[in-house]
Amino acid sequence: MSLEESQPDTLETATTTAEDIEALLGDLVLDRDDHLNAPGFVVRPDEVQDTLFRLRDEAGYDHLSCVTAQEYEDRYESIYHLKKYDDPTDEVSVVVPTPTDDPVSQSAEPVYRTADWHEREAYDLVGIEYDDHPDLRRILLPETWQGHPLGRDYDQDRPQIVPLREHANPLQEDHASDAGDTMFLNIGPHHPATHGVLHLKTVLDGEQVVDVESDIGYLHRCEEQICQQGTYRYQIMPYPDRWDYISAGLLNEWAYARVAEDLADIEVPEYAQVIRTMGAELCRIAAHMLAVGTFALDVYGDFTAIFMYAVRDREKVQSILEELTGQRLMFNYFRLGGVVWDLPEPREDFFELIRDFLDDLPEALEEYHDMISANEILQVRTVDTGVLPPEVAKSYGATGPVARGSGIDYDLRRDDPYGYYDELDWNVAVEDGCDNYSRLLVRLREVEESAKIIEQCVDLLEDWPEDERTIQSNVPRTIRPDDDTEIYRAVEGAKGELGIYVRADGTEKPARFKIRSPCFSNLQTLPEMSNGEYIPDLIASLGSLDIVLGEVDR
Amino acid sequence: MDVLLQSGTATPTGTANATAANASAAGPVTTLPETISGALGLTGTLGDLVGGLIGAFLIANIMLGMTALAGPWAKRKITAAFTDRIAVNRIGPFGLLIIVADAVRLLSKELIVPDGVDRPAWDIAPIILPFSALLGFAVIPLGSGLQLADPETGIVFAFAAASIASVGLVMAGYASNNKYSLLGALRSIAQNLAYEIPLVITAASVIIFAGTFRTSEIVAAQTETLVTVAGIAIPGWYAFVNPFAFVLFVLANIAEIGRNPFDIPEAPTEIVAGYQTEYSSVYFVLFYLGEFIHIFLGGALIAVLFLGGPAGPVLPGFVWMVIKMWAFFLFTQWARSAVPRVRIDQLIEIGWKGMLVLSFANLVLTAVIVGVIA
Repeated sequence: MSLEESQPDTLETATTTAEDIEALLGDLVLDRDDHLNAPGFVVRPDEVQDTLFRLRDEAGYDHLSCVTAQEYEDRYESIYHLKKYDDPTDEVSVVVPTPTDDPVSQSAEPVYRTADWHEREAYDLVGIEYDDHPDLRRILLPETWQGHPLGRDYDQDRPQIVPLREHANPLQEDHASDAGDTMFLNIGPHHPATHGVLHLKTVLDGEQVVDVESDIGYLHRCEEQICQQGTYRYQIMPYPDRWDYISAGLLNEWAYARVAEDLADIEVPEYAQVIRTMGAELCRIAAHMLAVGTFALDVYGDFTAIFMYAVRDREKVQSILEELTGQRLMFNYFRLGGVVWDLPEPREDFFELIRDFLDDLPEALEEYHDMISANEILQVRTVDTGVLPPEVAKSYGATGPVARGSGIDYDLRRDDPYGYYDELDWNVAVEDGCDNYSRLLVRLREVEESAKIIEQCVDLLEDWPEDERTIQSNVPRTIRPDDDTEIYRAVEGAKGELGIYVRADGTEKPARFKIRSPCFSNLQTLPEMSNGEYIPDLIASLGSLDIVLGEVDR
Repeated sequence: MDVLLQSGTATPTGTANATAANASAAGPVTTLPETISGALGLTGTLGDLVGGLIGAFLIANIMLGMTALAGPWAKRKITAAFTDRIAVNRIGPFGLLIIVADAVRLLSKELIVPDGVDRPAWDIAPIILPFSALLGFAVIPLGSGLQLADPETGIVFAFAAASIASVGLVMAGYASNNKYSLLGALRSIAQNLAYEIPLVITAASVIIFAGTFRTSEIVAAQTETLVTVAGIAIPGWYAFVNPFAFVLFVLANIAEIGRNPFDIPEAPTEIVAGYQTEYSSVYFVLFYLGEFIHIFLGGALIAVLFLGGPAGPVLPGFVWMVIKMWAFFLFTQWARSAVPRVRIDQLIEIGWKGMLVLSFANLVLTAVIVGVIA
C-alpha cells in the first residue's frame, strides 16, 4: 500500500513521549504521520487492536476521543484520536491507511466500546469497512442508501431509488424474536420524551427493558460536508451554532475557533478571550437550565413548575446573549482571532444586566434544589437508577456532565486550558454517584461554577483599559494553512468534549472536517444504563444524558 | 338508568328546600326525583320515571358543566398560577370563552380510527368512563335536596360505579391495537387493584362509625357537635374524628382516579398517553370528560365520608358541596404541579405494602374503639 511520507521537520509536538510510544509500539509502527496536536503513528490495518491494546493498557491512553475516516487519492485512512482522561493534553493519533480497492481495517471496538458507533459512521459516510466489528451497519443514513457520501467517487446525482422491499417499514416489526415473552416497542422518533427525533428500538419484558438500541440519523444535515465547502475565514463559523442548538452556540463556535486558530496560528487578544469566556459560560448556563428543566419534566411527568422556572431563567440568559451578539440562538459571534464586535454600549447597562442575573441566580438555584434535588420522590426515582460505572463511561468515551456524574474528573476547560479559564478561580463539579441523580447535581453545580466565571469576567471587563480593548487580531483575509497539516482540537461544550479534526490541503477550505460530538458518544452509553431497568428509568436516563439530536446526527 | 336506583316508593312531600344535612337520620330523605314528581303532581311509575329522568338530567348537566369549567379553563389557570404563567386570557372575560372554543375545536377534529382496532370495544370504552363517574353521582347527597337516590347500599354503590371505569380503561387499552395503550391499560389495572382495596377498607372504617351504608345517614351522622371551641361548634366530621383515615382515603382516592403523582396509566413522558393514545376528537373529549368527572366524584366521596357532605355554615348545602368538590380538584392540580410521578413498581409497593396495611390497621382500630364505646 502506498503511505504518506512523514514530515518530521514540521513537527511541533514531537516530544520524548512520542519516542516513548514509538519504543512501546516497536514493530507495529510503520511510519510517522504527526498531527499538530499529537504524534501520529501509522500502523497496519490488521494490527489496529494490538496497537490500541498496547497504548491503552501500557501507556494509559484510556480515552478514544474520536475516530476520523477520510479518503485520499490513493488510500483510505482511519485516525484514532487517543487521549488520557487524566491528562487530555497527552494525545496520540493512530493512523490506519487502507488501500482503495480493499478498504478493510481491523475494528477498535474490542479495545474501546465507543469505536462501535464511530466506525459505523466511518463506514456509513466514507466507506471503510471494519473487520471484527460487532454490527457494521449504516448509522446516520438510511439502510438503503447507495454510496458513501464523503468518499471521493460518490455520485450525488445517483438516484436513491431502491426496491420496495428495501423500504420495509421498520416500525412494523413486532417482535425482536419469535421466542420468548418479550415485546418489541418503538420509542420515538415521535415520542414526548426522546428530546428530538431519536428512535429507540426497545425490547421489553413486561415493564422492564431487556434491550434498547438507539436509531439515530433522522436529523443528519451533512454538517461536516457543509463545513468542507466553506472557507475558513467566514463561511464555517455560522454552522457550529446549529450543532448543539440548545443555546450552546458560543461553545460550539469556540470549538471551531480553537481548531482553526491553532491550525492557522492565529493569536487571540486577551480582551477577546475574556469576552469569549464570559459568553461561553452564559451559553453553558442556558444549556444546563434546559437540561435540568427537561430532565425534571421527564421524571415529573406533567408540565410542571420546574420546567417553567428553568425556562424563565434561561430566557434571562438569552436576553443577555441577545444584547451581546444580536441573536438569541444562532449567535455567529466569534470570529477567527477574536469576536465580531465589542460589548454593547452603554457598557455599564450591560454589566448591570449580567450582575442582576447573577445576583438572582443563587436564589433561583435554591429553588431548584428545593423542588428537584431535595425532593424525596425525585430522589427515589433517580438515585441508583441509570448507573454508569466510571470504567464503562470511559470505554464509551463519555465526557461532560455524564462523565463527571460518574466520578471522572475530566473537564477540558481546566485540563486542556484555552480562553481565559486558567486565569480564573473556579472548580470542576464532580459527583461519584454514577446515577441519574449525580448527573443532575453536576449540572446544577456547574451552573454555579459558570456564574463564578462570569462574575470574574465581568469584573475584568469593567476595569479593562479603554485603549486595550482589542476584539480581533489581524487575520489574513484568506487563510490557507499548509498542505497536509492535520489537527484535532476540542473544547468543553455544554454536553462534553466537542472536538473538531481538520485536514488542510493548501486551499482556503478544509479537505476534511470531522466533528466529534459529545452527545454522539454519550448516547452510546444508554443501553448500559437502562438494560434491566423500568421504562420510566430508561426515559429518565435518556433525559440525564442530555442529548441534542442536532449534535448527535450533525 | 338512575330511575331504577330509587329506593322505595315515592312519597312526594314537595319540600324542595329540605337539605340533606338537616334531614333526620331516622329514614331516607326526600330525593330529587320525588321532589320533581311531587311538584309535577305525578304519582306511581310515571312519577318515578319522569322525576328520575329530569333529576338525572339535571345532576348530569351540573357535573358536565363543572367539568367544562374545570377541563379547558380552570386546570390551565391553576397550573399557570403554579408555574408563573398567565394561561388563557384572550377569549372572553378571564379567557372563559376558551371553553366554547375548545369544545368546538375538539369536536370538529377528525375522528381517526386506526387500523386493526377492536370494534365495538374501542367505541364503547370512551363512553364507559364518563358514564361510570356520572353513575356514582346517583347516590351522592349534593345538598339542597339534590340527591337522585338514597338506597341502603348507597356508598357501596358509589364505589362499585366508580370502579367500572377500570373496565373502560382496559377496553380502551386492549382494543386500541397499540402497545403504549396496552401498557397504559395494564398499569391502570395494577394500580386500581392496589388502591381500590385500601380505599374501600378506609371507607369501611367510616361506615363502622356511622353504622350505615346510606349516604344521607353518613352525612347526617356528621352533623353532631364534636367539641365546642370558643363558642364555635366543631361538627363531628370524620376528617376531624379520624384524620388518619382521612389522609389515607385522600391518597388512595388520588391513585384511584389516576391523578399525579399516581398518573402512571397515562404518563405522557413514558408511554405517550397510555390507554388514550389512539383516541381523537369526540372519543378523546369523552375520556377527558370522564377523567374530570371522576375527580369530582372522588371529591364528592371525600366530602360525603369525611367532610360532612353538604354541611356548612351560612351558604346553602349545594354550594358547600361544590366548594368541597372543587377544593379536592384544586388539591389534585396542586399535586400535579408539584409532586413528581412515582415509578410503577414503587406505586404498587406503596399500595400493597403501605396503604393496605395502614388501612387494615385503621379499620381494626376503629372497630375496636367503636366496639368499646358502644
